[in-house]
Amino acid sequence: MASDKVIQVSDGDFDARALKSDVPFLLDFWAPWCGPCKAIGPVIDELADEFAGKLKIGKMNVDDNPATPGKYGIRAIPTLILFKGGEVVDQVTGAVGKKQLAAMIEKAL
Amino acid sequence: MADTIIDVLIVGAGPAGLQAAVHAVRKKASVVVLGKVAHSSIYGAHVENYLCVDGVVDGADLLRTAVDQATRFGAEIIAEDVLHVDQADELFKVKIESGTELLCRTLIFATGTSRKKLKVKGEKELSGRGVSYCVDCDANFYRNAKVAVVGNESAAVDGALTLTGYASEVHLVCQALEVGEGLAAKLTESSVQVHAGRWPKEITGENAVQGLLLDDDTSLEVDGVFVELGAKGAMELATTIGVMLDLDTFSYIDTNKRQQTNIAGIYAAGDIAGPPWQMAKAVGEGCVAGWEAANYANKQKRQQKED
Ligand SMILES: Cc1cc2nc3c(=O)[nH]c(=O)nc-3n(C[C@H](O)[C@H](O)[C@H](O)COP(=O)(O)OP(=O)(O)OC[C@H]3O[C@@H](n4cnc5c(N)ncnc54)[C@H](O)[C@@H]3O)c2cc1C
Repeated sequence: MASDKVIQVSDGDFDARALKSDVPFLLDFWAPWCGPCKAIGPVIDELADEFAGKLKIGKMNVDDNPATPGKYGIRAIPTLILFKGGEVVDQVTGAVGKKQLAAMIEKAL
Repeated sequence: MADTIIDVLIVGAGPAGLQAAVHAVRKKASVVVLGKVAHSSIYGAHVENYLCVDGVVDGADLLRTAVDQATRFGAEIIAEDVLHVDQADELFKVKIESGTELLCRTLIFATGTSRKKLKVKGEKELSGRGVSYCVDCDANFYRNAKVAVVGNESAAVDGALTLTGYASEVHLVCQALEVGEGLAAKLTESSVQVHAGRWPKEITGENAVQGLLLDDDTSLEVDGVFVELGAKGAMELATTIGVMLDLDTFSYIDTNKRQQTNIAGIYAAGDIAGPPWQMAKAVGEGCVAGWEAANYANKQKRQQKED
């Protein structure tokens, strides 16, 4: 089930939503034609539910939003970047499992 | 549809795929196995923990017998890799190295596991910053850029050809190419610059890939390096049509006890369906997958006759 806690982020509202977030923000850069991106979809949903209140999770479609991926030098998807207080604190590329993502989040909280 | 529709199409010619073929074909399903027997993990192994064989036997000998059995019962084996899988209504469409497209009612993924990392300096550091493992995912980031693809087999060649549609310059670094004629011919006709007999020593760059240093100390100036070793794995082939992997590690295809995946008509067996990575387990799952897939295909045919 898609979680309603996952926030759709665009180039336009990236600053307001991710950089100025009051809690750490995990942003998933994806595209509809990318198989591994689809594969991690359910994990993103589960994490959004499990860490609700402590962390926000968003998704950005790189097809529709080229500016932000360009700014962060993203050249492979899925890439997940963890922001805290407007800074990049961690980042991972490729379909990584829930355990690894949960550990990355725990470390930053 | 004018094309013949295959009942059970099996991707992978190792113990799991060949056992699936035996059980499916004996249930009167038409069966095609795709893949190269010599690329099975057991091919070069010495086996002594497989039931009913005495002493130590060569994996290659076991596979030779398996191929004989499967073909004798009526399965067809085509020694080509799969490049792409698509859904076509209730059927699946599979593209292979020669460029041929096959239509099937059911699909069994029995592709084993494969090594995907190159293990050279710079690879880990620049992952996601120019180092990529999925041409189909990331080609779009390299419009008008210069890229290199590394690998000897179908994934690398198909990847390099795909990239010619995006990048301004495509290099292919390979020790010795091991691909089917169709794919090899396409490569020769293409603009891909092939560096045969070479292998990477280091991926260079500060915060982004700037070059690829080869083992003869020449250097390619590139913005991206695609590591595409072996044939395309389940990650590339299966997830694009929505097959789910295990959520904890994303390293194998999730199945139930009937070897079904989350998509009706698609099954997985053997190493690609998770540990333990053993031939006995691969063969057991292959048996179940072949059996289940044949039943599914036969039922679909009966229903279509009634309609
Ligand atoms: C050195 C070594 C020793 C081993 N010793 C033992 C042992 O003693 N006993 C034991 O039980 N197990 C042993 N194993 C493990 C055993 O080899 C595997 O568990 C077994 O081979 C799994 O079978 P499989 O059919 O799932 O995959 P594999 O045998 O690996 O076969 C995979 C097949 O899929 C094909 N393929 C992959 N991608 C594609 C594609 N895109 N398109 C088409 N085809 C594709 C490959 O070409 C290959 O034919 C050993 C493994 C190794 C590496």
